[in-house]
Amino acid sequence: MRARYGASPLHLLAHLIVLPLVAFALLQIVERADAPRILIWLGLSAVVHDLVLLPFYGLLDRLEQRAAGRAVNYVRVPTLVSGLLLLVFFPAISGKGEGAFHGVSGLDYDGYLARWLLITAALFALSGAAYLLRGSRS
Amino acid sequence: MTPPGPFRPRFWRSPLRGPWLTAALGSVLLVLVAVVAATGFLSHTAYQPDLPGNAIVDRGADLPLSFAWPAGFAYLYAVTQGLHVNVGLVAIPFLLAKLWSVIPRLFAWPPAASPAQGLERLSIALLVSSAVFEFVTGVMNMQYWYAFRFNFVVAHYYGAIVFVASLVLHVALKTPVILRAYRERGVLKPLRDDLARTRPEPDDEHGGLVAPSPADPTLSRRGLFAVVGAGSLALLLANAGETIGGPLRRLSPLAPRRQVIGPGPNDFQVNKTAEGAGVTPDMTGTGYRLALRRGGREVLLSRADLLAMDQHTARLPIACVEGWTTTQEWTGVRLADLARAAGAAAGASALVRSLQPRGVLGRASLNAGQLGHPDALLALKVNGADLSPDHGYPARIIVPGLPGVHNTKWVGAIEFA
Repeated sequence: MRARYGASPLHLLAHLIVLPLVAFALLQIVERADAPRILIWLGLSAVVHDLVLLPFYGLLDRLEQRAAGRAVNYVRVPTLVSGLLLLVFFPAISGKGEGAFHGVSGLDYDGYLARWLLITAALFALSGAAYLLRGSRS
Repeated sequence: MTPPGPFRPRFWRSPLRGPWLTAALGSVLLVLVAVVAATGFLSHTAYQPDLPGNAIVDRGADLPLSFAWPAGFAYLYAVTQGLHVNVGLVAIPFLLAKLWSVIPRLFAWPPAASPAQGLERLSIALLVSSAVFEFVTGVMNMQYWYAFRFNFVVAHYYGAIVFVASLVLHVALKTPVILRAYRERGVLKPLRDDLARTRPEPDDEHGGLVAPSPADPTLSRRGLFAVVGAGSLALLLANAGETIGGPLRRLSPLAPRRQVIGPGPNDFQVNKTAEGAGVTPDMTGTGYRLALRRGGREVLLSRADLLAMDQHTARLPIACVEGWTTTQEWTGVRLADLARAAGAAAGASALVRSLQPRGVLGRASLNAGQLGHPDALLALKVNGADLSPDHGYPARIIVPGLPGVHNTKWVGAIEFA
Protein backbone atom coordinates (compact mmCIF):
# COMPACT_ATOMS: atom_id res chain seq x y z
CA MET A 1 0.00 0.00 0.00
CA ARG A 2 2.63 2.50 1.12
CA ALA A 3 4.82 1.70 -1.91
CA ARG A 4 2.04 2.10 -4.44
CA TYR A 5 -0.03 4.87 -2.79
CA GLY A 6 2.83 6.83 -1.26
CA ALA A 7 1.47 7.17 2.31
CA SER A 8 -0.24 5.18 5.06
CA PRO A 9 -3.82 3.91 4.68
CA LEU A 10 -4.87 6.48 7.29
CA HIS A 11 -3.83 9.23 4.88
CA LEU A 12 -6.17 7.80 2.24
CA LEU A 13 -8.97 7.26 4.77
CA ALA A 14 -8.74 10.84 6.02
CA HIS A 15 -9.16 12.10 2.46
CA LEU A 16 -12.08 9.78 1.84
CA ILE A 17 -13.87 11.16 4.90
CA VAL A 18 -13.36 14.79 3.96
CA LEU A 19 -13.58 14.89 0.17
CA PRO A 20 -17.20 13.60 0.05
CA LEU A 21 -18.17 16.35 2.51
CA VAL A 22 -16.52 18.89 0.21
CA ALA A 23 -18.32 17.32 -2.75
CA PHE A 24 -21.63 17.66 -0.84
CA ALA A 25 -21.06 21.39 -0.35
CA LEU A 26 -20.01 21.95 -3.95
CA LEU A 27 -23.00 19.97 -5.26
CA GLN A 28 -25.40 22.21 -3.33
CA ILE A 29 -23.84 25.17 -5.13
CA VAL A 30 -23.97 23.51 -8.56
CA GLU A 31 -27.77 23.26 -8.31
CA ARG A 32 -28.13 27.04 -8.08
CA ALA A 33 -28.65 29.62 -10.83
CA ASP A 34 -25.69 31.69 -9.56
CA ALA A 35 -23.42 28.62 -9.43
CA PRO A 36 -21.06 29.63 -12.27
CA ARG A 37 -20.17 32.89 -10.55
CA ILE A 38 -19.66 31.23 -7.14
CA LEU A 39 -17.43 28.53 -8.60
CA ILE A 40 -15.42 31.03 -10.68
CA TRP A 41 -14.79 33.18 -7.59
CA LEU A 42 -13.91 30.08 -5.58
CA GLY A 43 -11.49 28.85 -8.23
CA LEU A 44 -9.92 32.23 -8.92
CA SER A 45 -9.41 33.04 -5.22
CA ALA A 46 -6.31 30.89 -4.86
CA VAL A 47 -5.02 31.72 -8.35
CA VAL A 48 -5.27 35.48 -7.81
CA HIS A 49 -3.68 35.24 -4.37
CA ASP A 50 -0.84 32.90 -5.34
CA LEU A 51 -0.01 34.27 -8.78
CA VAL A 52 -0.92 37.97 -8.52
CA LEU A 53 -1.10 39.31 -4.96
CA LEU A 54 1.79 37.36 -3.44
CA PRO A 55 4.25 38.00 -6.33
CA PHE A 56 3.20 41.66 -6.28
CA TYR A 57 4.04 42.22 -2.64
CA GLY A 58 7.16 40.09 -2.96
CA LEU A 59 8.33 42.40 -5.74
CA LEU A 60 7.37 45.49 -3.74
CA ASP A 61 9.40 44.21 -0.81
CA ARG A 62 12.40 43.57 -3.04
CA LEU A 63 12.21 47.10 -4.42
CA GLU A 64 12.07 48.48 -0.88
CA GLN A 65 15.11 46.43 0.11
CA ARG A 66 17.01 47.76 -2.87
CA ALA A 67 16.01 51.35 -2.12
CA ALA A 68 16.37 51.38 1.67
CA GLY A 69 19.14 48.80 2.23
CA ARG A 70 19.76 48.17 5.92
CA ALA A 71 16.95 50.56 6.90
CA VAL A 72 14.41 48.49 4.96
CA ASN A 73 12.20 47.73 7.97
CA TYR A 74 11.49 51.42 8.49
CA VAL A 75 9.88 51.42 5.04
CA ARG A 76 8.59 47.86 5.09
CA VAL A 77 6.48 48.04 8.27
CA PRO A 78 4.43 51.16 7.45
CA THR A 79 4.01 49.92 3.87
CA LEU A 80 2.68 46.62 5.13
CA VAL A 81 0.24 48.12 7.64
CA SER A 82 -1.01 50.76 5.22
CA GLY A 83 -1.26 48.19 2.43
CA LEU A 84 -3.27 45.81 4.61
CA LEU A 85 -5.71 48.59 5.54
CA LEU A 86 -6.13 49.44 1.85
CA LEU A 87 -6.57 45.80 0.86
CA VAL A 88 -9.20 45.04 3.51
CA PHE A 89 -11.09 48.35 3.50
CA PHE A 90 -10.84 48.84 -0.26
CA PRO A 91 -14.64 48.77 -0.78
CA ALA A 92 -15.12 51.69 1.64
CA ILE A 93 -11.92 53.58 0.71
CA SER A 94 -12.60 53.38 -3.02
CA GLY A 95 -16.34 53.94 -2.53
CA LYS A 96 -17.08 50.71 -4.43
CA GLY A 97 -19.68 49.58 -1.91
CA GLU A 98 -21.33 53.00 -1.65
CA GLY A 99 -24.42 52.31 -3.77
CA ALA A 100 -25.68 49.41 -1.67
CA PHE A 101 -24.40 51.03 1.55
CA HIS A 102 -26.49 54.13 0.88
CA GLY A 103 -29.49 51.94 0.02
CA VAL A 104 -29.51 50.20 3.39
CA SER A 105 -28.16 52.90 5.72
CA GLY A 106 -28.99 56.22 4.07
CA LEU A 107 -25.32 57.16 4.62
CA ASP A 108 -22.28 57.59 2.35
CA TYR A 109 -18.65 56.51 2.54
CA ASP A 110 -17.40 60.06 3.12
CA GLY A 111 -13.79 60.66 4.06
CA TYR A 112 -12.55 57.06 4.01
CA LEU A 113 -9.91 57.74 1.36
CA ALA A 114 -8.82 60.89 3.21
CA ARG A 115 -8.52 59.04 6.53
CA TRP A 116 -6.58 56.18 4.95
CA LEU A 117 -4.14 58.70 3.43
CA LEU A 118 -3.74 60.45 6.80
CA ILE A 119 -3.17 57.11 8.57
CA THR A 120 -0.56 56.22 5.94
CA ALA A 121 1.22 59.54 6.44
CA ALA A 122 1.13 59.05 10.21
CA LEU A 123 2.56 55.52 9.94
CA PHE A 124 5.50 56.72 7.83
CA ALA A 125 6.00 59.70 10.15
CA LEU A 126 6.17 57.37 13.17
CA SER A 127 8.57 55.13 11.31
CA GLY A 128 10.73 58.10 10.31
CA ALA A 129 10.82 59.30 13.91
CA ALA A 130 11.85 55.82 15.06
CA TYR A 131 14.60 55.80 12.44
CA LEU A 132 15.94 59.17 13.59
CA LEU A 133 15.84 58.14 17.27
CA ARG A 134 17.61 54.86 16.51
CA GLY A 135 20.21 56.77 14.49
CA SER A 136 20.92 59.32 17.21
CA ARG A 137 21.28 56.63 19.90
CA SER A 138 23.83 54.49 18.07
CA MET B 1 13.59 18.25 -16.21
CA THR B 2 12.54 20.90 -13.68
CA PRO B 3 11.16 24.07 -15.32
CA PRO B 4 12.98 27.32 -14.56
CA GLY B 5 12.05 30.15 -12.19
CA PRO B 6 9.94 29.42 -9.09
CA PHE B 7 10.01 25.68 -9.83
CA ARG B 8 13.73 25.65 -8.89
CA PRO B 9 14.33 25.51 -5.12
CA ARG B 10 17.14 28.11 -5.43
CA PHE B 11 14.57 30.69 -6.62
CA TRP B 12 13.26 30.98 -3.03
CA ARG B 13 15.71 32.85 -0.83
CA SER B 14 14.02 33.93 2.40
CA PRO B 15 16.11 32.67 5.34
CA LEU B 16 13.02 32.64 7.59
CA ARG B 17 10.96 29.99 5.79
CA GLY B 18 11.00 26.56 7.37
CA PRO B 19 8.82 24.01 9.20
CA TRP B 20 9.00 25.87 12.53
CA LEU B 21 7.91 29.21 11.05
CA THR B 22 5.01 27.63 9.18
CA ALA B 23 3.99 25.63 12.27
CA ALA B 24 4.08 28.76 14.46
CA LEU B 25 2.13 30.95 12.02
CA GLY B 26 -0.28 28.08 11.41
CA SER B 27 -0.87 27.55 15.13
CA VAL B 28 -1.87 31.18 15.68
CA LEU B 29 -4.02 31.12 12.56
CA LEU B 30 -5.71 27.91 13.65
CA VAL B 31 -6.86 29.44 16.95
CA LEU B 32 -8.20 32.54 15.18
CA VAL B 33 -9.92 30.57 12.43
CA ALA B 34 -11.50 28.23 15.00
CA VAL B 35 -13.18 31.27 16.61
CA VAL B 36 -14.29 32.64 13.24
CA ALA B 37 -15.66 29.28 12.07
CA ALA B 38 -17.46 28.50 15.33
CA THR B 39 -19.11 31.93 15.47
CA GLY B 40 -19.97 31.68 11.77
CA PHE B 41 -21.87 28.43 12.22
CA LEU B 42 -23.46 29.81 15.41
CA SER B 43 -24.68 32.78 13.38
CA HIS B 44 -26.23 30.38 10.89
CA THR B 45 -28.06 28.77 13.82
CA ALA B 46 -29.06 32.15 15.26
CA TYR B 47 -31.19 32.72 12.17
CA GLN B 48 -33.10 29.55 13.17
CA PRO B 49 -33.39 28.20 9.66
CA ASP B 50 -35.77 25.43 10.76
CA LEU B 51 -38.59 27.89 11.57
CA PRO B 52 -41.02 28.98 8.80
CA GLY B 53 -39.72 31.70 6.49
CA ASN B 54 -36.24 31.88 8.02
CA ALA B 55 -34.11 29.61 5.83
CA ILE B 56 -31.82 31.32 3.33
CA VAL B 57 -29.87 28.13 2.66
CA ASP B 58 -32.44 25.62 1.38
CA ARG B 59 -33.40 23.37 4.34
CA GLY B 60 -33.26 20.21 2.25
CA ALA B 61 -29.67 21.01 1.35
CA ASP B 62 -28.42 22.12 4.77
CA LEU B 63 -26.47 20.33 7.48
CA PRO B 64 -28.76 19.08 10.27
CA LEU B 65 -27.34 21.48 12.87
CA SER B 66 -29.68 23.78 14.72
CA PHE B 67 -31.02 24.48 18.19
CA ALA B 68 -33.42 27.00 19.69
CA TRP B 69 -31.44 30.28 19.83
CA PRO B 70 -31.82 31.60 23.40
CA ALA B 71 -32.97 35.10 24.42
CA GLY B 72 -31.42 34.97 27.90
CA PHE B 73 -28.35 37.09 27.09
CA ALA B 74 -29.21 40.28 25.19
CA TYR B 75 -25.71 40.66 23.70
CA LEU B 76 -25.42 37.04 22.54
CA TYR B 77 -25.59 37.84 18.83
CA ALA B 78 -23.57 41.04 19.26
CA VAL B 79 -20.76 38.99 20.83
CA THR B 80 -21.06 36.13 18.35
CA GLN B 81 -20.98 38.30 15.26
CA GLY B 82 -18.60 40.88 16.72
CA LEU B 83 -16.11 38.05 17.25
CA HIS B 84 -16.79 36.60 13.80
CA VAL B 85 -16.04 39.86 11.98
CA ASN B 86 -13.27 41.30 14.16
CA VAL B 87 -11.36 38.06 14.78
CA GLY B 88 -11.76 37.43 11.06
CA LEU B 89 -10.01 40.74 10.37
CA VAL B 90 -7.26 39.87 12.88
CA ALA B 91 -6.73 36.54 11.11
CA ILE B 92 -6.13 38.08 7.67
CA PRO B 93 -2.44 39.08 8.18
CA PHE B 94 -1.72 35.65 9.69
CA LEU B 95 -3.42 33.94 6.74
CA LEU B 96 -1.33 35.97 4.28
CA ALA B 97 1.87 35.26 6.25
CA LYS B 98 1.06 31.56 6.48
CA LEU B 99 0.45 31.35 2.73
CA TRP B 100 3.70 33.28 2.10
CA SER B 101 5.59 30.82 4.30
CA VAL B 102 4.54 27.83 2.16
CA ILE B 103 4.49 29.40 -1.32
CA PRO B 104 7.53 27.39 -2.55
CA ARG B 105 5.40 24.26 -2.14
CA LEU B 106 3.01 25.51 -4.84
CA PHE B 107 5.83 25.10 -7.35
CA ALA B 108 7.04 21.69 -6.13
CA TRP B 109 8.33 19.60 -9.03
CA PRO B 110 7.21 17.03 -10.05
CA PRO B 111 3.65 18.21 -9.19
CA ALA B 112 2.80 14.84 -7.59
CA ALA B 113 5.34 12.12 -6.92
CA SER B 114 2.69 9.62 -5.78
CA PRO B 115 -1.12 9.24 -5.70
CA ALA B 116 -1.03 10.26 -2.03
CA GLN B 117 0.75 13.50 -2.85
CA GLY B 118 -1.65 14.21 -5.69
CA LEU B 119 -4.64 13.75 -3.41
CA GLU B 120 -3.09 15.95 -0.74
CA ARG B 121 -2.35 18.71 -3.26
CA LEU B 122 -5.99 18.60 -4.35
CA SER B 123 -7.12 19.05 -0.75
CA ILE B 124 -4.62 21.91 -0.28
CA ALA B 125 -5.99 23.60 -3.41
CA LEU B 126 -9.49 23.33 -1.92
CA LEU B 127 -8.22 24.67 1.40
CA VAL B 128 -6.44 27.71 -0.04
CA SER B 129 -9.25 28.53 -2.48
CA SER B 130 -11.97 28.29 0.13
CA ALA B 131 -9.92 30.20 2.73
CA VAL B 132 -9.27 33.15 0.41
CA PHE B 133 -12.87 32.98 -0.85
CA GLU B 134 -14.32 33.11 2.67
CA PHE B 135 -12.23 36.11 3.70
CA VAL B 136 -12.76 37.99 0.43
CA THR B 137 -16.54 37.50 0.42
CA GLY B 138 -16.83 38.27 4.15
CA VAL B 139 -14.80 41.47 3.85
CA MET B 140 -16.77 42.61 0.80
CA ASN B 141 -20.12 41.85 2.44
CA MET B 142 -19.32 43.83 5.60
CA GLN B 143 -18.75 46.84 3.32
CA TYR B 144 -21.81 46.23 1.13
CA TRP B 145 -19.80 45.68 -2.06
CA TYR B 146 -21.73 42.96 -3.86
CA ALA B 147 -19.61 42.87 -7.01
CA PHE B 148 -19.66 39.07 -6.88
CA ARG B 149 -23.37 39.08 -7.83
CA PHE B 150 -24.19 35.80 -6.12
CA ASN B 151 -26.13 35.08 -2.94
CA PHE B 152 -23.58 35.92 -0.23
CA VAL B 153 -25.18 33.87 2.56
CA VAL B 154 -25.38 30.68 0.51
CA ALA B 155 -21.91 31.00 -1.02
CA HIS B 156 -20.27 31.99 2.30
CA TYR B 157 -21.99 29.07 4.04
CA TYR B 158 -21.04 26.32 1.60
CA GLY B 159 -17.59 27.89 1.19
CA ALA B 160 -17.23 27.57 4.98
CA ILE B 161 -18.07 23.86 4.83
CA VAL B 162 -15.37 23.33 2.17
CA PHE B 163 -12.95 25.45 4.23
CA VAL B 164 -13.54 23.77 7.59
CA ALA B 165 -13.54 20.24 6.13
CA SER B 166 -10.28 20.72 4.23
CA LEU B 167 -8.75 22.55 7.20
CA VAL B 168 -9.51 19.68 9.60
CA LEU B 169 -7.91 17.29 7.10
CA HIS B 170 -4.87 19.54 6.72
CA VAL B 171 -4.33 19.90 10.46
CA ALA B 172 -4.72 16.15 10.97
CA LEU B 173 -2.16 15.36 8.27
CA LYS B 174 0.31 18.04 9.40
CA THR B 175 0.18 17.40 13.15
CA PRO B 176 3.28 15.14 13.06
CA VAL B 177 5.24 17.79 11.10
CA ILE B 178 4.11 20.54 13.50
CA LEU B 179 5.00 18.48 16.59
CA ARG B 180 8.40 17.57 15.13
CA ALA B 181 9.16 21.24 14.41
CA TYR B 182 8.22 22.24 17.98
CA ARG B 183 10.19 19.31 19.43
CA GLU B 184 13.33 20.04 17.46
CA ARG B 185 13.29 23.85 17.55
CA GLY B 186 11.26 24.55 20.69
CA VAL B 187 7.80 26.13 20.66
CA LEU B 188 8.90 29.70 21.36
CA LYS B 189 12.70 29.42 21.36
CA PRO B 190 13.25 30.74 17.80
CA LEU B 191 11.53 33.97 18.91
CA ARG B 192 14.46 34.71 21.24
CA ASP B 193 16.88 35.30 18.38
CA ASP B 194 17.48 38.91 17.40
CA LEU B 195 18.43 39.75 13.82
CA ALA B 196 22.13 39.08 14.36
CA ARG B 197 21.39 35.57 15.61
CA THR B 198 18.70 34.71 13.07
CA ARG B 199 19.81 31.65 11.06
CA PRO B 200 17.92 29.53 8.53
CA GLU B 201 16.23 26.42 9.94
CA PRO B 202 18.15 23.18 9.28
CA ASP B 203 17.43 21.57 5.92
CA ASP B 204 14.01 19.90 6.03
CA GLU B 205 14.80 17.25 3.36
CA HIS B 206 11.41 16.60 1.74
CA GLY B 207 9.61 19.58 3.25
CA GLY B 208 10.79 22.00 0.58
CA LEU B 209 10.36 25.07 2.81
CA VAL B 210 13.96 25.82 3.84
CA ALA B 211 15.82 27.78 1.16
CA PRO B 212 18.89 25.90 -0.13
CA SER B 213 20.70 29.18 -0.83
CA PRO B 214 19.22 31.68 1.63
CA ALA B 215 19.76 35.45 1.47
CA ASP B 216 20.99 37.34 4.54
CA PRO B 217 18.09 37.96 6.94
CA THR B 218 16.61 41.47 7.05
CA LEU B 219 14.10 40.59 9.78
CA SER B 220 14.21 38.24 12.78
CA ARG B 221 11.46 35.68 13.31
CA ARG B 222 10.09 37.65 16.26
CA GLY B 223 10.28 40.71 14.02
CA LEU B 224 8.09 38.91 11.47
CA PHE B 225 5.56 38.03 14.17
CA ALA B 226 5.62 41.63 15.41
CA VAL B 227 4.96 42.99 11.92
CA VAL B 228 2.13 40.52 11.25
CA GLY B 229 0.69 41.26 14.71
CA ALA B 230 0.89 45.01 14.02
CA GLY B 231 -1.11 44.44 10.84
CA SER B 232 -3.74 42.53 12.80
CA LEU B 233 -3.91 45.22 15.47
CA ALA B 234 -4.31 47.94 12.83
CA LEU B 235 -7.22 46.11 11.18
CA LEU B 236 -8.85 45.52 14.57
CA LEU B 237 -8.54 49.16 15.67
CA ALA B 238 -9.75 50.38 12.28
CA ASN B 239 -13.02 48.47 12.69
CA ALA B 240 -13.79 47.42 16.27
CA GLY B 241 -15.46 50.71 17.28
CA GLU B 242 -18.56 49.87 15.26
CA THR B 243 -18.93 46.63 17.20
CA ILE B 244 -18.54 48.15 20.66
CA GLY B 245 -20.53 51.27 19.79
CA GLY B 246 -21.00 54.31 22.00
CA PRO B 247 -18.18 56.86 22.01
CA LEU B 248 -15.74 54.30 20.56
CA ARG B 249 -17.64 54.13 17.28
CA ARG B 250 -16.05 57.25 15.84
CA LEU B 251 -12.56 56.16 16.90
CA SER B 252 -12.42 53.43 14.28
CA PRO B 253 -11.40 55.35 11.17
CA LEU B 254 -12.34 52.79 8.50
CA ALA B 255 -15.33 50.98 10.05
CA PRO B 256 -18.30 51.07 7.65
CA ARG B 257 -20.66 51.98 10.53
CA ARG B 258 -18.50 54.61 12.24
CA GLN B 259 -20.87 57.56 11.68
CA VAL B 260 -22.57 59.21 14.64
CA ILE B 261 -25.66 60.60 12.96
CA GLY B 262 -26.91 63.12 15.47
CA PRO B 263 -28.16 63.67 19.03
CA GLY B 264 -31.84 62.85 18.40
CA PRO B 265 -33.66 59.80 19.79
CA ASN B 266 -33.80 58.18 16.33
CA ASP B 267 -30.27 59.17 15.25
CA PHE B 268 -28.61 55.77 15.24
CA GLN B 269 -27.51 53.38 12.51
CA VAL B 270 -30.18 52.08 10.11
CA ASN B 271 -29.99 48.68 8.45
CA LYS B 272 -32.78 49.11 5.92
CA THR B 273 -34.25 52.52 5.10
CA ALA B 274 -38.00 52.97 4.62
CA GLU B 275 -37.28 54.28 1.14
CA GLY B 276 -35.08 51.30 0.28
CA ALA B 277 -37.74 48.88 1.52
CA GLY B 278 -40.52 50.71 -0.35
CA VAL B 279 -42.47 51.63 2.80
CA THR B 280 -44.58 54.76 2.24
CA PRO B 281 -46.51 57.03 4.67
CA ASP B 282 -49.92 55.84 3.44
CA MET B 283 -49.01 52.29 4.52
CA THR B 284 -48.15 53.42 8.05
CA GLY B 285 -50.64 56.27 8.59
CA THR B 286 -54.00 56.34 10.39
CA GLY B 287 -55.24 53.36 8.35
CA TYR B 288 -52.51 51.13 9.82
CA ARG B 289 -53.70 47.98 11.58
CA LEU B 290 -51.56 45.24 13.08
CA ALA B 291 -53.04 41.80 12.37
CA LEU B 292 -52.60 39.09 15.02
CA ARG B 293 -53.50 35.73 13.54
CA ARG B 294 -53.95 32.29 14.99
CA GLY B 295 -55.67 29.49 13.11
CA GLY B 296 -58.52 31.18 11.24
CA ARG B 297 -58.90 33.99 13.82
CA GLU B 298 -57.64 37.49 13.31
CA VAL B 299 -57.40 40.43 15.74
CA LEU B 300 -56.78 43.89 14.26
CA LEU B 301 -55.11 46.58 16.39
CA SER B 302 -54.43 50.23 15.54
CA ARG B 303 -51.33 52.00 16.86
CA ALA B 304 -53.57 53.71 19.45
CA ASP B 305 -54.82 50.25 20.57
CA LEU B 306 -51.21 49.14 20.96
CA LEU B 307 -50.28 52.28 22.93
CA ALA B 308 -53.25 51.60 25.24
CA MET B 309 -51.84 48.19 26.22
CA ASP B 310 -49.25 47.66 29.00
CA GLN B 311 -46.00 49.33 27.94
CA HIS B 312 -42.62 47.93 28.84
CA THR B 313 -39.16 49.49 28.37
CA ALA B 314 -35.92 47.59 27.75
CA ARG B 315 -32.38 48.59 26.79
CA LEU B 316 -31.42 46.23 23.96
CA PRO B 317 -28.84 46.09 21.17
CA ILE B 318 -29.37 45.70 17.46
CA ALA B 319 -26.48 43.52 16.32
CA CYS B 320 -25.98 43.18 12.60
CA VAL B 321 -24.46 40.27 10.69
CA GLU B 322 -21.87 42.72 9.34
CA GLY B 323 -20.49 43.06 12.86
CA TRP B 324 -21.83 46.43 14.02
CA THR B 325 -23.95 47.00 17.10
CA THR B 326 -26.06 49.83 18.48
CA THR B 327 -27.82 49.75 21.87
CA GLN B 328 -31.01 51.80 22.44
CA GLU B 329 -33.89 52.07 24.91
CA TRP B 330 -37.04 50.59 23.40
CA THR B 331 -40.64 50.92 24.65
CA GLY B 332 -43.62 48.91 23.48
CA VAL B 333 -45.90 45.94 24.07
CA ARG B 334 -44.54 42.62 25.28
CA LEU B 335 -44.79 39.96 22.57
CA ALA B 336 -46.11 37.60 25.25
CA ASP B 337 -49.07 39.98 25.79
CA LEU B 338 -49.78 40.02 22.06
CA ALA B 339 -49.66 36.21 21.97
CA ARG B 340 -52.24 36.17 24.78
CA ALA B 341 -54.40 38.72 22.93
CA ALA B 342 -54.34 36.46 19.88
CA GLY B 343 -55.27 33.44 21.98
CA ALA B 344 -51.99 31.62 21.25
CA ALA B 345 -50.97 28.75 23.51
CA ALA B 346 -47.82 29.04 25.63
CA GLY B 347 -44.86 27.56 23.75
CA ALA B 348 -46.07 28.71 20.34
CA SER B 349 -43.69 30.19 17.78
CA ALA B 350 -44.66 33.09 15.53
CA LEU B 351 -44.03 34.32 12.01
CA VAL B 352 -43.69 38.12 11.82
CA ARG B 353 -44.46 39.80 8.50
CA SER B 354 -43.33 43.26 7.51
CA LEU B 355 -45.32 45.72 5.39
CA GLN B 356 -42.21 46.23 3.26
CA PRO B 357 -43.01 45.45 -0.38
CA ARG B 358 -39.36 44.93 -1.35
CA GLY B 359 -35.91 44.40 0.10
CA VAL B 360 -34.43 41.44 1.93
CA LEU B 361 -36.01 39.57 4.81
CA GLY B 362 -39.56 40.89 4.87
CA ARG B 363 -40.47 38.20 7.39
CA ALA B 364 -38.87 36.24 10.23
CA SER B 365 -40.01 33.57 12.68
CA LEU B 366 -39.35 33.76 16.42
CA ASN B 367 -39.13 30.73 18.69
CA ALA B 368 -41.20 30.17 21.84
CA GLY B 369 -38.37 31.18 24.19
CA GLN B 370 -37.92 34.49 22.38
CA LEU B 371 -41.67 35.25 22.34
CA GLY B 372 -41.93 34.53 26.05
CA HIS B 373 -38.96 36.65 27.16
CA PRO B 374 -40.11 39.65 29.26
CA ASP B 375 -37.89 42.04 27.23
CA ALA B 376 -39.10 40.80 23.84
CA LEU B 377 -41.17 43.69 22.49
CA LEU B 378 -43.20 45.02 19.67
CA ALA B 379 -41.54 48.43 20.06
CA LEU B 380 -43.52 51.60 19.36
CA LYS B 381 -40.98 54.08 20.72
CA VAL B 382 -37.23 54.40 21.02
CA ASN B 383 -35.45 56.59 23.57
CA GLY B 384 -38.83 58.05 24.54
CA ALA B 385 -39.83 59.20 21.04
CA ASP B 386 -41.99 57.61 18.34
CA LEU B 387 -40.01 55.34 16.03
CA SER B 388 -38.84 57.13 12.88
CA PRO B 389 -39.90 55.68 9.51
CA ASP B 390 -36.37 54.28 8.99
CA HIS B 391 -36.46 52.52 12.35
CA GLY B 392 -39.76 50.80 11.63
CA TYR B 393 -42.68 53.15 12.45
CA PRO B 394 -45.41 52.32 13.40
CA ALA B 395 -44.09 49.18 15.15
CA ARG B 396 -41.05 46.92 15.08
CA ILE B 397 -39.81 43.78 16.78
CA ILE B 398 -36.94 43.95 19.27
CA VAL B 399 -35.84 40.71 20.92
CA PRO B 400 -32.77 40.08 23.13
CA GLY B 401 -29.92 38.22 21.43
CA LEU B 402 -31.59 38.11 18.01
CA PRO B 403 -29.69 38.75 14.73
CA GLY B 404 -30.41 42.41 13.87
CA VAL B 405 -32.29 41.88 10.64
CA HIS B 406 -34.74 39.47 12.31
CA ASN B 407 -36.01 42.39 14.41
CA THR B 408 -38.62 42.95 11.71
CA LYS B 409 -39.58 46.58 11.04
CA TRP B 410 -42.96 48.00 9.86
CA VAL B 411 -44.69 44.95 11.33
CA GLY B 412 -47.96 44.25 9.49
CA ALA B 413 -48.89 40.84 10.89
CA ILE B 414 -47.86 38.32 13.52
CA GLU B 415 -48.97 34.76 12.83
CA PHE B 416 -48.87 32.49 15.88
CA ALA B 417 -48.44 28.77 15.32
